[in-house]
Formats: sequence, C-alpha cells, structure tokens
Amino acid sequence: MRKIIYFGLFSTLLLTLTTGCTAASPKVSELTIYSGRAEGFIAPFFEIWQQQSGIKLNVRYGDSAELAAQILEEGKNSPADLFLSQDAGSLGAISTEQLFSPLANGVADLIPAQYSQTNRDWIGVTARVRVFAYAPDRITITPKTITDLTKPIYKNQLAIAPTNASFQAFLTAVIEKKGRSFAKQWLLDLKKNGVKSYAKNSVIVEAIDKGEVSIGLVNHYYVWEVSESLGRPINVVNGYFEVNDLGNLINVSGVGILASSNKQEAAIDLINFLTSEAIQNKFVTETHEYSLIQSINPPKDLPSLAQVGAPSIDLGLLKNIKNTQDLLIEVGLL
Amino acid sequence: MQSLKSPVKTSLLNLYQVKNRSNNLLLVLLVLLVVGLVLIPIFYLVTRASQKSLTQIQELLFRQKTFEVVATTSLLVLLVVLLTAFFGVLIAAGLHFVNLPYFAALIIVAVLPLAIPSYVFTYTWIALIPAFSGFLPAVFILFLTTLPYVILATLAGLRRVDGSQIEVARSFGLTHLQIFFKVVLPQIRGHISGGVLLVGLYTMSDFGAVSLLNVDTLTVTIQNMYRASYDRNAAAVISLVLVALSALFVVGDERFKSKTLRNKSIKTTSVKTYSINKSSYQVTVFSTIFAYAVFAVLVPVYVLLSRFISNPVAVDWSSLLSASISTISVALFGALIALILSAPIGALLSEKPTYFSRFTNRAILIGHALPGVVIGLALVSFGSKISFIYQTTFLLAFAYALLFLAKSVASMTASLARVPEGAKEVAATLGMNKWAVLKNVVTPIAAPGIALGTTLVFLTAMKELPATLMLRPTGFETLATQIWSSAAISRFNEAAPYALVLLLIAAIPTFILSRPDKADKPLSTQEIGN
Repeated sequence: MRKIIYFGLFSTLLLTLTTGCTAASPKVSELTIYSGRAEGFIAPFFEIWQQQSGIKLNVRYGDSAELAAQILEEGKNSPADLFLSQDAGSLGAISTEQLFSPLANGVADLIPAQYSQTNRDWIGVTARVRVFAYAPDRITITPKTITDLTKPIYKNQLAIAPTNASFQAFLTAVIEKKGRSFAKQWLLDLKKNGVKSYAKNSVIVEAIDKGEVSIGLVNHYYVWEVSESLGRPINVVNGYFEVNDLGNLINVSGVGILASSNKQEAAIDLINFLTSEAIQNKFVTETHEYSLIQSINPPKDLPSLAQVGAPSIDLGLLKNIKNTQDLLIEVGLL
Repeated sequence: MQSLKSPVKTSLLNLYQVKNRSNNLLLVLLVLLVVGLVLIPIFYLVTRASQKSLTQIQELLFRQKTFEVVATTSLLVLLVVLLTAFFGVLIAAGLHFVNLPYFAALIIVAVLPLAIPSYVFTYTWIALIPAFSGFLPAVFILFLTTLPYVILATLAGLRRVDGSQIEVARSFGLTHLQIFFKVVLPQIRGHISGGVLLVGLYTMSDFGAVSLLNVDTLTVTIQNMYRASYDRNAAAVISLVLVALSALFVVGDERFKSKTLRNKSIKTTSVKTYSINKSSYQVTVFSTIFAYAVFAVLVPVYVLLSRFISNPVAVDWSSLLSASISTISVALFGALIALILSAPIGALLSEKPTYFSRFTNRAILIGHALPGVVIGLALVSFGSKISFIYQTTFLLAFAYALLFLAKSVASMTASLARVPEGAKEVAATLGMNKWAVLKNVVTPIAAPGIALGTTLVFLTAMKELPATLMLRPTGFETLATQIWSSAAISRFNEAAPYALVLLLIAAIPTFILSRPDKADKPLSTQEIGN
C-alpha cells in the first residue's frame, strides 16, 4: 500500500517536472480504468493488452451508473484514466459534465460514427440487441412488432423487467420515436394483457425455461448466458421483430478517456486495442456481443445487425431515462 | 492506568468530582470529534441538497411519489420490526430458557443469516421462485436477514437477567410465561429495543432486496435518481427525507427503551437459573428455529450449491484465499476502528443521560439508515480530495467504522445502562478516577455488549458492498465484491464458493459470541474478587 502511495507521489513529482517539456512524455507503467463491464467478460481482454503493452492495468469493477456517479464526485481528482461503461447513459453523464477529453479522428476509426458521442467524447465498443426470448414449443406465432404483444394470443404469456436499464433504454426509444401517449397506451395494453414483471433479464429467461411464461423482452445474449450458467441447453430461443421495429433497438457499451488523466497516449492505445478487428472478433466469440464493425461476423447462430434491422436512433437521446421511469410509475409498472 | 493518587480517602469523592471536570472536557472533545466524523455524510447531503433551489426542493418533497414512497418505507419498516421483535424474542428466550437438543448448532443457525448479503438472499429466492416479487416478499426477505439482530441483542440481555428474581417468582408459583412477561421482559426491554433499532435502520437502508423485488422504497428512489437522471442533488434531497424518517424512528425507539428497569444492585453471577423441559415449549422453539434455518440458511446454501454442482467451475483457490484474507483483515480493521470510536461514546452514554448524550446517540444512529451508496459517495467526495488516503484499505476500514458505528453503540448502550450508579460511586470513593472506573467497573459489565457490537460490525462489514465498491483500493477484491461480480452476470455457480466461504468465516465469531459455556459466566466470582 505504502509503495503505491510513494509511487503516486513520485510520479506526480515526475510529472510536474516533465510537463514543461512536452516532447518526451513520461513512460507510463500503470493505467487505471473504471469498468462497468463485468470482470468475468472483460478481464481476459485486459490481460492481453497488459502483456502486449507492458503497462499494468488497475481495474476497478463496479456498476456503470455508480461508477459514473463516483467519477462525477471525484471530478478533477479522479484517479481514473478511462471509463468503460456497460451503457451509453453513464457515458453521457460524464460527457455532460465535460470530464472526458474528446478523441482525435483516427482513434478507433473502425467504429461507425453513429455508435459514438457526436463530439467523440466516448466511443462505442460492443453492441447488444433487444430481442424477444421465447419457448418455441409454446409460441408458434411470433410477434412482428411490439404492438403485436398486446394481442390476446400473448395473454398472460409475456414477461418484462421494468427496473432493468436495458428495458428502460428501449422504452425511452419508444417515447422518443412514437411519443409518450403511444408508449403509455402500449404499456397499459400490456398490463391489460397480463404482462408479468421480473427483476432481471436472466430471471425472465429462466422463467420461460421453467414454463412460468412463454415470451419475454430481453437482450440478445441472455439465452446464451443463462444456458452457460445452468450448464445445460434450455428451451428458450431468441426472436426478432420485423426490420426497423423499435423492439430491435441496439444499445452499446463504450469507453472514454478522463480529461484529468495525464496518460492520454496509453489510454488511446487501449481504446485502439479494444476496437481493433482481432479483439472485436474475440468479443463476439467470447461474450456473445455484437461487434460494431460491419465486416465482423455476428455471434454464433445469430443474425447480423443489418439483418436484424435496428431502428435508427441517436444513442445520446437514451441518456435521460427520468421521463421513462415517470411513465412506468404512472402506469404502475414501477 | 492511574490508580490511587491521594491517601486521604474521605475527600476522594469530592476530588473525583473535581477531576471529572477536566476529564469531562476531554471526553466532550473526543465525542465531538467522533460525532463530527459520523456526520460527514449528512454534511455532504446538506451541501448537495443546497445546490437545488427552494422551489425545486419543495417540488421534490411534496410530489405524490414522495408520499407514496415514504408510506411504503414506513410500512415495510413497521412490519419487519414487529415480525423480528416477536420471533427474535421468541427464539432468544427459547434458546436461553428451554432445554434444547443440538443447542450449539441451533444458536449458530439462528445467527448465521447475518453473514448473507441481502442481494444474495434475494437472488436465491428468486432463483427458486421466479415470480417472487413485491411488497410481502420484501417483508419476508428483510425479516429473514435482520432477525439475528434481535436474537443476539435479546440473548445478550437475557444473560444479565437477575436469576434471584426468577427464583422468587417461581417460589410464588408463577408460570413460565408469567415469569417471562413480569420478571424477564422488563429487564431486557433495552436490549430488545437495541436490536429492533438496528433492524429498523437496516430495513430503511437496504437496497439489494427491495430493488430486486420491485418495491419502491426511499433507497430505490435515491438510487433511481443516480441511475435515471444522474441527479446527485435530487438524490441528496430524498436522502435527507430518509434521515428524517430514521430520526423519527430513533426517537420512537428511545421512548420504548426508557421503560426499561435499571439495575440498582451489582449482580454477581448470572447462572442459567432454570431450564424448561416442557415438550410443548421444546417443540415450539425447536420448530421455529428449524423453519428459520430452512428459509434463511438452507435455501440460499441449497440454491448456491445446486448451481455450483449442476455447472461446476474450477474454483480459483488463490483468488478465493486472497479475497478471504482481504475480507477478514479489512473487516477486522473496520471493527477495531469502530471499537475505538465508540469508546468515548460509550463513556458518555454510561453517564446519566444529558441533552448532549442524547444528541450524540441520535447523531450516530440516524446516519445508519442511509444506503451504502450515499455514504460511499460522501466519502468519495471527501476522500478524493486527500489523495494519499483515497482508495486505501484505511479509508475503506474507516468507512466500515462510520457505516456501522451505530451497531456497536446500540449494542453497548443497553449494557451500559445496566451499570449501577452505586457501583461507580463506590469505585470513586475507593480512589478511582473516571478512566479507572471506566476500565475496572464499567467495561467488565458492558463487555458482552461491546463484544456483540464489535462482532456485528465485523460481520456486516464482511458483506458490505456499495461502499466497498467505491472505496476499496483499485484491484482489491473482497468476498462480497467477488460474489457481486459473478452474480451480476448471472454466474451464480461461480459466486457459490465465495458465498459459502463468507458463511464459514461468519460462523466463527458467531460461535464464539454465542458459546453457551462462556455465556453463563461472564462475571465469575474470581473476577469480582480482583
């Protein structure tokens, strides 16, 4: 512990001495990253980068929203060099307070512009798609649009997770695109149709497997994740709404560099690494997420993003889910 | 420490009082220091909340939603408190008075759930019953998690019950129940109320269970404000509502406690005066504890183990070991700091109650209802300005001490209240100064309460999550953070070994604390002879 403190003091001293001469940036030996992405998924990737770069990564794992609150609280004193978040909302909160340093063009250039903050404060890393998970033997007619879910054939069959961030992001998109009154009516119709609320996406998938419900709105990787966790195949598959339906919304995980960091170059190197083709391929095979790079294949047994046909929406709009929560409260789902 | 200083014993009582003044000043300063530290989160909240304009604050406070949430929280607290008070006293009295088979196992099982984080508890129940959600399940889960607080506090009280009074009552032919309500209960009200206090404050602060079960309490609203709109100032306003609610609860609890009988004499021994062999009592108590063990220990352990067995992963022994060592050491460190911080508080509270001591007690208790994320952010806000302590084990241990100081103080006060005034005066006439009185008279009597408090801090610090996530040194993993990181991606099978080790570690202090042979003779005749 004391070593770290001394090292910190020493490197600060070194930094003050070297800031005058900009040409020779000090050799970075450590980088601190706050990660809202779970250790089980991301740690192997960090391991590779550490070996390649020779730079030690200090990773602080936590919940994306709580880490964002922590960075806001730390302000300019933040020990973090980078923030890797599970969702666009948490990145947007840091961006609003202007605590990120915008990335130059050329950094992470394989990632299409639509998946990043417009001023390049942060960059998208991977994508997840909203799907409906269902039991194929019980649901023979799949829904084409989210409105179909209010039909009698799905009565008492559908599950949602109203407290879940991904569901709320999806509902935010519905409000943004179709208006609040449409969203409200849709929720009320779902309620009338006997929709069941669960705590988490994974619990929905388990409930479908157990036969409690037959169809549920989740992210695309939960069927795979739950089956992995249970160690057996499950009676649940993914289904997609028709092209451009809001039910197929894409949300991204992303990364940004803190403006207070004095290790910008090393941090940029890590971002380039995470968005490189080789590593993006690895994300697809190991975490079952989508790569944002178009030329890279989708996860095994899943359609490509183009085939899914996600609705086009500015991800920045998904930041403020306050109205969404108010609506959920109003209709009595929260 | 300091002993006899003046040979003139007749004037010693006067001297004691004179000396007390300078001692008092020191004590007051120390107490103020501790209170200042404890109030850091409240100070932080007030600062944050004051960033909002008055109209914004009014809007937040007087909207429909706030009323609903306050009502839900209050009802939740009320139900959990009533249930835990009833079953906690039943189980503790049963363990103490009724002759039961497998006594040691029963007592451990009755306290062990304290080591299971509420989110793990809830996850496992949801895994068993996916539709498990809503208000009543939340009451159920919080009842299960908090019951040990009342059991432990009541047990500590029962060990101090005057056995001779029970003998007298028996000779008058009172039934077991009559003895309990007329002789025992009045003596242990203070202890019960200490346990109930912790239950109520914990229930207010809990986030894990209520969020997973979809119940809208104040903590969920606070968390939503961070998550939904990243509005820290609005979250602070609602947090202050929670502080106000907990203040009401603390004052209510004081009323209840004030009816406790105070000891007037020094009790020399506390032998287990009688043990009931009636089978109806035995069956009732045994089956209650058994049911509790099934719901609160077997269900979580069964779900975790079955996940692990159905999909075994190679246990990472080195990470398990290092997480265990980290957990034990930082929790111990935290318990130690809490012990040190509570010493001046205990000294103050063992005196006759004054406005100042009442204020101190309340100041320490009300912050206890705040969810970990709020305390965590408050310490982030302060700590990040002092870079050499920020994200060190010291700051984390310190955070535990602040978070759980109420546990050691609440456990201590009931014991301290039982120190007879007369004993202190006698000691003073024997030439002891205040600190010597504290050391030689007060501490031995309060020892069980102090031990209980320190153990509670240790146990709860081990499972603490939100503040740990924010304040631990980067890369420092505890059992709780490891459980969380696996559970967050639905890998319960990977979380299982960590949760089970957490239970095993927790069983040790629980066992020591509740060891029946130890419990029966906290004040042996030899100790008195010293």
